[in-house]
Amino acid sequence: MTPDEALAATVREEWGRLVALLLAQFRRLDLVEDALGDAVEAGARTWPRDGIPDRPAAWLLTAARRRVLDRLRAEAMAARTRPLLVVDAEVTAARGSVRADPGDLVDDDVLRLVLMCCHPALAPEVASALALRLVVGVTTADIARLFLVPEPTMAARVTRGKRKIVTAGIPFGVPDATALPERLGVVAQVAYLAFTAGYAPGSGPDLLRADLSGEAVRLVRVTLALRPDEPVLRALLALLLLQHSRRDARVGDDGRLVLLPDQDRSRWRLDEVDEALGLLQGMPGAVTSPLAESYRLQAYVAAEHATAVTASDTRWDRVCEHYAALVALNPSPAVRLAAAVALAERDGPRAGLRALDDLDGALPHSHRLPAVRGELLARAGEPRAAVEALDVAIGRCGNDVEREHLTRRRDELASRRE
Amino acid sequence: MKRYVILIAYRPWDWSSATPEVRQSYVDAHDAFQQYVDEHGAHLGSAALGDADTATTLRADADGARMVTDGPFAELAEQIGGYYDVELPDLDAAIAAARLLPPAYTVEVRPVVRIEGYDPQ
Repeated sequence: MTPDEALAATVREEWGRLVALLLAQFRRLDLVEDALGDAVEAGARTWPRDGIPDRPAAWLLTAARRRVLDRLRAEAMAARTRPLLVVDAEVTAARGSVRADPGDLVDDDVLRLVLMCCHPALAPEVASALALRLVVGVTTADIARLFLVPEPTMAARVTRGKRKIVTAGIPFGVPDATALPERLGVVAQVAYLAFTAGYAPGSGPDLLRADLSGEAVRLVRVTLALRPDEPVLRALLALLLLQHSRRDARVGDDGRLVLLPDQDRSRWRLDEVDEALGLLQGMPGAVTSPLAESYRLQAYVAAEHATAVTASDTRWDRVCEHYAALVALNPSPAVRLAAAVALAERDGPRAGLRALDDLDGALPHSHRLPAVRGELLARAGEPRAAVEALDVAIGRCGNDVEREHLTRRRDELASRRE
Repeated sequence: MKRYVILIAYRPWDWSSATPEVRQSYVDAHDAFQQYVDEHGAHLGSAALGDADTATTLRADADGARMVTDGPFAELAEQIGGYYDVELPDLDAAIAAARLLPPAYTVEVRPVVRIEGYDPQ
């Protein structure tokens, strides 16, 4: 391994732990990230010359600590005081002596960091940016790319989040056992938001930012490692792995989006599918949290797709069962739309069309609803009505890639009609 | 310890026509809040405010003259009805305390900040 590779690997694996340790010791959210950034820069300069340190993470920690201390000394000279992060009593007690390297308490510090970033008092888009930056070490530029916003916008969002944490007194702490499951549910929602951002179609070479969605998967892994029995995290990791396992097959050689039935299944990542199935099997039968149950049912649907050898082997009967349970749990229009699609596969396009009937009121601006209706009408042998529905969908669609896809389908049907 | 002002908003209603049971439930909720604050921090001050239709607002016009008008800052369905000024360990404690207040309230938790260079007594 070259020094550069060693540094990149250390940053990737240890960033969250280092941030957590530095916050626990200094409680200065405004200094820690910069200090760690400086330490990484110093490593990039000196490791090629001096060789890779025996303990690269400890090296970075020491360098970052020195930076923070320098800043604190400079501030003391200027006699300025800055607001400190609120740290719970347990952390304060544990900080009686400065630990030389990561020890047993570090896991708790990482959990404190995750819970601080994913606090319900932070807007979800702020929380997900903070968690990716501070826990997983994703650069602000990459987070901006993931969420399709300009980098300065994202930098401002991260800064605003840090200011809210310090000013509002969001604690760097772990709540008691009764409140923890709900807070881990918030962590799951934050991670899911970041994950789905990477699958929102962009344009050009950024059609899918699936590599960045992988960082959200890492956020869930880190948190699950700290609380391995938490159903909401297990179910979410399974769901994300199943969706993520298809990333290589979702974009064709021509750069276009490839839909599930047309994907080359040999390009799915079977190791990730296997891991997800293992996670689902290991879950207890009765899950009490509706959020965990919702993730689990969605994962079951994804698992049916992942284990079908070809698209026509899909067990639509079982998919429909999972959707029926999901609708019972959460009858949102988006869930009912997906359930209608599954129903059409099982019982034919007419059944699917009937299931769409009462959705127009709930989804007056959605392009997906008329897009699905158009597709089902085409299958039912009504190309004229199908084209009309697709025209509605094209008019409502705000995304270039998807609109292009819909237009192609519409033109195909229109020409077949003549 | 951090200092928070906890603002209480409510939909104006007729307290005088409330049943004794309803009144007691409000009193109990405020007592539970006070007890939580006393156990975890300190109660610095609090007040119940007159209805918004008794408020007077001063606002500078385009020329900088301070105009006096009848009514609150903004006419909203919910109006500020009172506040608590408390010291608590962190936002989680402030949220836990605020949860104890009557469920009919909408509660806003605002941190108190120090203005650098200005230290009132």
